[in-house]
Amino acid sequence: MKSLKAALGAAALAAGLWVSAASAETLRVLAWEGYADPDWVKDFTKETGIDVDVVFVGSDDEIWAKIKGSEGKDFDVMAVNTAQLQRYIDADLVKPWDLSKIPNQKQVLPRFQDLSKITGVTRDGKAYGIPFCFDSIGLIYDTDKVKPAPTSMSVLWDPQYAGKVLAYDNGEHNFSFTALTLGIANPFQLSADQFTAVKAKLLELKPNVLSFYTTADEALQIYQNNDVALIWANYGQQQLKAMQKAGAHVAYIAPTEGSLSWLDNWALTSGAKDPDAAAKWVNFLLDKKIGAQLSERTGFGNTAAASSNANDSDKLVWLESVEDPLKRSDLWNEIKASQ
Amino acid sequence: MSDSAAHAGPHRLTPWLATLAAYIVPLGFVLAPMALFLVYSFFSVDHGSIVFSPTISNYVRFFTDPVFLPIFWRTCLLCLAVALLCVLFAFPVAYFLTTLRGRSRYMLLVLLLVPLLMSYVIKIYAVRSILGGNGMLNRALLATGLIDKPSMLFVFNLNAVLLTLTVLLIPFAVLPIFLSLERIPKALRHASADLGATNAQTFWRVTVPLSLPGTLSAMSFVFVLAIGDFLTPQMVGGQSGFTFGRIIYSQFGTAFNWPFGAALSVILAAVVILAIRLGGRLESKHGGAK
Repeated sequence: MKSLKAALGAAALAAGLWVSAASAETLRVLAWEGYADPDWVKDFTKETGIDVDVVFVGSDDEIWAKIKGSEGKDFDVMAVNTAQLQRYIDADLVKPWDLSKIPNQKQVLPRFQDLSKITGVTRDGKAYGIPFCFDSIGLIYDTDKVKPAPTSMSVLWDPQYAGKVLAYDNGEHNFSFTALTLGIANPFQLSADQFTAVKAKLLELKPNVLSFYTTADEALQIYQNNDVALIWANYGQQQLKAMQKAGAHVAYIAPTEGSLSWLDNWALTSGAKDPDAAAKWVNFLLDKKIGAQLSERTGFGNTAAASSNANDSDKLVWLESVEDPLKRSDLWNEIKASQ
Repeated sequence: MSDSAAHAGPHRLTPWLATLAAYIVPLGFVLAPMALFLVYSFFSVDHGSIVFSPTISNYVRFFTDPVFLPIFWRTCLLCLAVALLCVLFAFPVAYFLTTLRGRSRYMLLVLLLVPLLMSYVIKIYAVRSILGGNGMLNRALLATGLIDKPSMLFVFNLNAVLLTLTVLLIPFAVLPIFLSLERIPKALRHASADLGATNAQTFWRVTVPLSLPGTLSAMSFVFVLAIGDFLTPQMVGGQSGFTFGRIIYSQFGTAFNWPFGAALSVILAAVVILAIRLGGRLESKHGGAK
């Protein structure tokens, strides 16, 4: 008797599972931690009746492996940054969005409204990425030591701060930001002459640098034990907030020549089963309340509601893939090796 | 006939299996990866992907590019200095240990080795907070009035790398020196004293020469450990702490040039093997009698 009940129960459960799988209204999302919080997913399902399956990723390469591995068929929608998005478009792993299905895109912050003005999210007039989350790589300065507040990265070269600068140990970014400081319009595609100029400029930076750091924690520890005035803030607002929490008197600026910034977008995979459901998901997330929550929880900027990450007037330069990563890395080694 | 063959089988196989078991670890986990490095060092990279056709361009680049050789020599010199310093500091400690008796000798030895249980990264962080511009050392010196503004002598430069590596590696030098000192029969020292030698004479003409094998293997030990290090220079070396290990590290990380990194690793491995052979050769020359 007991076993019959159990068998019946199991059969009913199996039937239920089969029905829910057959309904196919499950949206498969590939995202970074913080981009698809459980409470948002719950509200989305309540509002639209679409179930959501979220898989979180830890690196750009992992996203590529997952999407490329299934030729886009394992997921419907994914979060990817502008620089990375290009190779997905090249490989036909993503499809353009139907913007009429995402009305909230018209309500986003002014900077993000015209997608054609954002390098990398459109191609041939079609929108492949819907901007969602971003942060700038600005400058953190000690408010007691640096007066008045700096406005440009050129302050890093000021001899007054010799030995008080913390720089970041990454050739790619260092060439890009120095190119911006030198007034080069496209810091991601440097010509041979521009390479020479940027390298010379970076060599001049060395005497001012106390050390090159790699993690935000490391920078904080060096700051606490040394006389540091300026930090090239690879980790943006998160880094600033962690330093302020540790009691440091520091502030953050986005340089006037433009600050390198990363931008994550929602993209529609070529294997998406239900593009409309994916569009509903993106539309749902482009909401002022969710945007504010995203910024509050992660410290990153969102595209729907104003945050401390960027003023409308700040010039943000969206990161692109660079002309020759190997060359930049080799030159960076040469700069570090010189005495 | 077939019976006897069946009996002989396991007997003949057992030594083979034992040999296989003995060789499989060094062959599979040491020699094979190193051979792989050697093979990779003859490949090249084009637009982010490895080209699998043999070339010596990586080695040509190492010997002709003005960047790599100076860094290489600078790193060798640095590590030699670390090895010398470690031995200088470790010798008195090891000597003192041999003068202790019984349990206290080994208690102290274990205490000296305790730092090895601690994570290497934590130790570097600790050293960094001691050496910083506002670090413990500078604050202490300022408080005692020995200096009137923070000294930058040991802050984010090669001196800091030298000091940190020495502090981290001293335990590795103490042990071999202690072992070689311990092996010197007391009778030799007594005989020296009986023949009228002063303590200093006995020390310089009996103890030191007989401890040479241990001292030399301590030096090659420390040198080898120091030259492979890529973290310490990065963490305490500041803008001048760029060493050979850092270059190799960058080839596997940001540069994504594995073949060139492999070629540099092969060169480093050659230096390490040479250092070990040199230590071993001198050791057998001086201590061969025993």
